[in-house]
Amino acid sequence: MKVDTLNSEEIQQLKSAALEHLWMPSRDWVEISEQGGPQIAVDAEGIRFTDSEGKTWIDVRGGYASVNVGYGRQEIADAAYEQMLNLHYFPQTSTTEIQVKLFEKLAQITPGKLERAWATTGGSEANETAIKMAKSYHTRIGESGRYRIIGRKGSYHGATQGVMWLGGYSNLTDFYPAYPGIVHAPQPHPYRCERGGQSASECAVLCAQAVEDLIKFYGPSTISAIVAEPVTSSVGNAVPGDEYWPMLRQICDRYGVILIADEVVTGFGRTGKMFGLEHWGVVPDIMTLSKGISSSYLPIGAAIVTNEIADRFGSDEDHFRQALTFGGHPVSAAAALKNMNIIESENLVEHTASVGKYLSDHLHNLMDQYQFIGDVRGIGLMQTIEFVKDRTTKESFDKSIGLGEKLTEKFRNQGLLLEASETMVSFTPPLCITSSEVDEIIRVVRSSLEETSKELSLH
Amino acid sequence: MPITPNTDRIRDAALKYMFPHRRGWIEMAEEGGPLVAVKGNGIRITDSEGQSWIDVNGGYNSVNVGYGRTEIADAAHQQAQKLSFFPAGTATEPTIRLAEKIAQITPGTLNRTYFVNGGSEAIETGLKIARAYHKRNGDHGRYKIISRKNSYHGFTGGVVWLGGAPGAGRDDFEPAYPGILHVPQPLPYRCELGGTNPSECAVLCAQAIEETIKFEGPESVAAVIGEPVAAASGAPGEEYWPMVREICDRYGVLLISDEVICGFGRTGKMFAVEHWDIVPDILTLAKGIVSTYLPIAATVIKKEIADAFAGADNKLIHTLTFSGHPVSAAAALKNIEILERESLVKNSEVMGAYFKEQISSLMVDHPILGDVRGLGLLIQMEFVSDRNTKEPFPKETLLPTRLNQGFKKHGLILRAVGDTLAIGPPICITRDEIDEIVHAIDLTLWEVEGQLGIAKTT
Repeated sequence: MKVDTLNSEEIQQLKSAALEHLWMPSRDWVEISEQGGPQIAVDAEGIRFTDSEGKTWIDVRGGYASVNVGYGRQEIADAAYEQMLNLHYFPQTSTTEIQVKLFEKLAQITPGKLERAWATTGGSEANETAIKMAKSYHTRIGESGRYRIIGRKGSYHGATQGVMWLGGYSNLTDFYPAYPGIVHAPQPHPYRCERGGQSASECAVLCAQAVEDLIKFYGPSTISAIVAEPVTSSVGNAVPGDEYWPMLRQICDRYGVILIADEVVTGFGRTGKMFGLEHWGVVPDIMTLSKGISSSYLPIGAAIVTNEIADRFGSDEDHFRQALTFGGHPVSAAAALKNMNIIESENLVEHTASVGKYLSDHLHNLMDQYQFIGDVRGIGLMQTIEFVKDRTTKESFDKSIGLGEKLTEKFRNQGLLLEASETMVSFTPPLCITSSEVDEIIRVVRSSLEETSKELSLH
Repeated sequence: MPITPNTDRIRDAALKYMFPHRRGWIEMAEEGGPLVAVKGNGIRITDSEGQSWIDVNGGYNSVNVGYGRTEIADAAHQQAQKLSFFPAGTATEPTIRLAEKIAQITPGTLNRTYFVNGGSEAIETGLKIARAYHKRNGDHGRYKIISRKNSYHGFTGGVVWLGGAPGAGRDDFEPAYPGILHVPQPLPYRCELGGTNPSECAVLCAQAIEETIKFEGPESVAAVIGEPVAAASGAPGEEYWPMVREICDRYGVLLISDEVICGFGRTGKMFAVEHWDIVPDILTLAKGIVSTYLPIAATVIKKEIADAFAGADNKLIHTLTFSGHPVSAAAALKNIEILERESLVKNSEVMGAYFKEQISSLMVDHPILGDVRGLGLLIQMEFVSDRNTKEPFPKETLLPTRLNQGFKKHGLILRAVGDTLAIGPPICITRDEIDEIVHAIDLTLWEVEGQLGIAKTT
């Protein structure tokens, strides 16, 4: 690794400047200050990064479940550089070869008739675009009464105001009023099925039926779309039973509702398929993408839609009314294309399926060993262990016992950047992770669980 | 000059696989497909057939330092080779340095920055902070946002409803976000409240904000948002912004200045609020922050407001994956360095005045030109069929289409929308380049007037 040399004075200066001027996502500067200032990342390669103190860490979350090909890919940096040296941006209504290549590539690798894409700067905007596209489509076909969007409780689709209410309202009281017309279906979370399903299949069927019930209750003529993640990372990588997605597809078709698959997390190999819905052979009407599309090397996202929908926007008169200055930036497009090239040439999708299974097997072994692990779940390289006081009641621990803090601290002490809460730990490393690197992570997790269980007298 | 041999194939794929911004692909196909840009330098780009064009609006009024700045590419590449992204919860050097730089160059106590990826997200973030701030203060009822008609603040769900004019296409996306109220735009040329000069219009429009706050109840209003110089409406009379600042203070309403377009020298000051010496509570920035070299944007917050979010119990829960991207931040830092080193803000002031003067002089020969307005290098022209009545041209005259054909013929990438033509070139533009553009516009106006059978009457 090319370790950057910052002297201790520079590091102090940087930390105090950060405390004074930088508003870090979902953090506050008093708390960071108490921890001695923010950790500053200076260099990274593969699944590891080095901080300003020269210490090396494993980034077990892989950015925000987003650094799919791993850190330090020189060829992505070079591809972006080359594009920027040629042309960094483009005049209005013109285009560039690199953007066109990206759109063509997306059409090729996404399933079915998903063919025309609108590129954004990230996942929130991709989902905003999908919802606006669904509503405009219904307006174009004379069904402007379809204004409601179905989200699912506990899901996460972004932080902008058109999408942030889709997962429910309870933790968003800072930002009221909520966007009107959003209704919520239950989450097909097999371990904690709101509808009381006793197995993944039962839960899937009940939750899919609940979507149909919602559509019938509000009236199909008022529903535009349903937005859902193939596998829900925000509730700890819950994988629905096999019945769920095919049923959802059928229900949407029956009532003329658009199916939007949010593959921002699950796309580009994360689940062991190129796209998460391939596990169930379902093709959505709109698919949203970000994160793994460029492995976070540069900001970009996209909503790709079927021709059936796109064709309603073909003329100047009917064009889709949106412009985003940085959307589908040519330099980001160059990085994204090179990133996809790496995913394909290194067979990272197949690799994810096998190494994900390897990780999952190890986590199941831990569950055999520790009673307070209530569930191990996930698919590919999105895996979660959930903690419970009692496996029968599935009751969670109180925050006050400090299970999450203790584990997180032990992870930190052994060089893992990995956050545990009192309810769970999730693993979303770069897809290039090797089985020996998995072993390394598991060793630390095992010893941390062991020590913590002793300290808290857990079993 | 570079020529791309497979241009036809690129065009076909573009028509098949992409949604062009603000256009459909059917007419685009009829015109032979989109222009494919391959190289850029200064205010010019070269297309795949080797033809050179002037990009009069520099992207979306966004390529402030001009095309082809190798040193920005070098700075981004250097950072990308070290660290191209950051693990969740960590910070990186370029992002910290950029936050520090922004605190230095923005006025007053604007000194804490939340980074996002584009202007829409910056304004989303501003609105979320405004609403959450009042809740931190115990003012739970303050949720309404006052915006101005004919303004533009982005396209995501929370901000698309702030702006727009009738027919802007928002009806595609109903229902609207609740709690957004609209007041008149202080556009002197067409003052909704009947002001007969810029000052009168400014005062009436500022008063309309106070009346709206009083009517709705101050305890229900969170913020007023406006662009200091609206891209579509030019600068308001001198009284407007100081009055709006005072009104916001009087009623405990936050003032959000959207400088996504105006910021970083576009209006001849680093930030447009400096023209009136006011400091907003929240300032939103994008475009010129990085001259569109890479995606990055910022929401800058006054210390007094940000302090309400300090401490674990008060923190703002708001995360966007690519927030504060280190490579984009490195590009932005280099971009600001160029703006300062080459005194481009001053250049924007001087060249802006010259450009406006030259465009205004076209009014002598061209009766269809009704108004020329703007500040710095953010200039707008409005066309009318009759200067006295300010009547627009009937749609069947196809005025914008004719103008756009003329611009194309004369090598300008410039697009009239409806009756207006917005100009926002790279701010490194020179006097000779302005002369070249004005000459091409002059020729186009002669041609279009000829086509429409309009002759100078006085």
